[in-house]
Amino acid sequence: MLNGLQSLTVAYMAVWAIFFGYQFSVGRRLRQLQDEVERLKTRR
Amino acid sequence: MALLRPTTILLKKELRSEFRTRELLTTTWVFVVTVLVLFSFTFEPTQVESRRFGPGLLWLALLFAGSLMLHPSFAREQVNDTLAALRMAPIDPVAIIASKILANLCFLLVAEVFLLPIFAALYNLSLLPILPQLLLVMLLGTLALATVGTVFSAISSHARMRELLLPLLLLPLLAPALIASTEATRGLLEDPPGLPLEWTGVLLSFDIVFLTVTWLFGEYLLEE
Amino acid sequence: MADGAASVVESTGQQKWGPGIVETLGIAALVAFAGYAALFIAPTERTMGVIQRIFYFHVPSAWTGFVAFFINLIGSIAFLRTRNLKWDRLAVASAEIGVAFFTVVLVTGPIWARPVWGIWWTWDARLTSSFVLWLLYVCYLLLRTLVDETERRAVVSAVFGIFAAFDIPLVYFSIWLFRTQHPQPVIGQGGSLDSRMLNVLLLCWMALLGVMVLLLRQRVRLETLRHSVEQLRTESARDAGAE
Repeated sequence: MLNGLQSLTVAYMAVWAIFFGYQFSVGRRLRQLQDEVERLKTRR
Repeated sequence: MALLRPTTILLKKELRSEFRTRELLTTTWVFVVTVLVLFSFTFEPTQVESRRFGPGLLWLALLFAGSLMLHPSFAREQVNDTLAALRMAPIDPVAIIASKILANLCFLLVAEVFLLPIFAALYNLSLLPILPQLLLVMLLGTLALATVGTVFSAISSHARMRELLLPLLLLPLLAPALIASTEATRGLLEDPPGLPLEWTGVLLSFDIVFLTVTWLFGEYLLEE
Repeated sequence: MADGAASVVESTGQQKWGPGIVETLGIAALVAFAGYAALFIAPTERTMGVIQRIFYFHVPSAWTGFVAFFINLIGSIAFLRTRNLKWDRLAVASAEIGVAFFTVVLVTGPIWARPVWGIWWTWDARLTSSFVLWLLYVCYLLLRTLVDETERRAVVSAVFGIFAAFDIPLVYFSIWLFRTQHPQPVIGQGGSLDSRMLNVLLLCWMALLGVMVLLLRQRVRLETLRHSVEQLRTESARDAGAE
């Protein structure tokens, strides 16, 4: 059983993980698209 | 009101096409009765227990049945693209939606009228003394389902997995109406019976809000 | 027209609409300070102890979620009126971010509840309403994945988004009313707020709003780029076919 301080730490980590995870997902899709842009540009 | 006449004409068309086969009505009715029977296994149908669980189960059953039944509302227009023909008529597009909402309201209410005696019998509840108030609650609650359900039927008709999507979209959105209808019905089933005005007010607000939103934004769904 | 799409792609590639380094560092500093404040500046609550400090992120996350969903409402209405897809891009971005913030609410709620009340979940009014809201906008995002054509997807999600936004007050009120008649353990703190606590709370809210704005701009940039790439792809396919 987690005590108060440990739960608080878990909570802070969870909050950070959620936002970082979302930003990471957006960043990854952005990079994928930018790669595709390069591909399309060099083809024309 | 320029809206009234085309709405009435379209409404008659909707009612006529459904009552010709009555398949939607009978299917809905059978579905709700089946659900009520199955639900009865989840608790002891004594007077007290029925009063506690009955209303919630009734409205849940109606919600599920309704969300299945509302789907054809716009889907069947897609078969021969009859919606395009309707749109070309010189009428306010809101009339098309309004007529469908009213038609769905009628279908659901008819199904419920046949449903209530069965519900009363299965759960040992006496509904006759509270009938007028009960009908009011049924009307307001069903109107909520019909309004949002018809609009979402239009929305989901453009999507993949539309049969699953419609109930999925409806359930979280109708949560306030479901809670309000259940609580209002439960209040009526109590001893002594009383119509909870606060819950009736919530239902009424729900209906007013979403009828207004439909009136303002519904026509965008009919476009090509 | 081909050059137009290509130049849009280039400019978005050069962070034309994305957040710059300065803003990102600024918001990061604000977040760091807010976190410090929540942990050390705010006074310790009497009954719950240290765990209560979750409150400084649990509650403002919900508020920021509301702001995000309000932005979705604006974007939805604006799209229907103007038919400019930039509003649709704003709408999808704000919906996603609102869901992210409410995920924080739904995760921190139980983490707070467990040590204090010994239960993971309680169907209390705020948590239940947050759950329904979360489901509602997850449905919004789901709807979007099920409609393929861009213009139509924007129209149907805009209408759904408007319905969802007007449902929010009804959800909260009906669940609150239900809870007054059928009480359940309440997560969160009752009673009035110490002024220091209020200040830290507002500070944390500002920090989260900053995070929201950063995420929003990034996400809109993604969507704009995706749209341009789609256009480039169809043009490229058309040119290839014409040769």
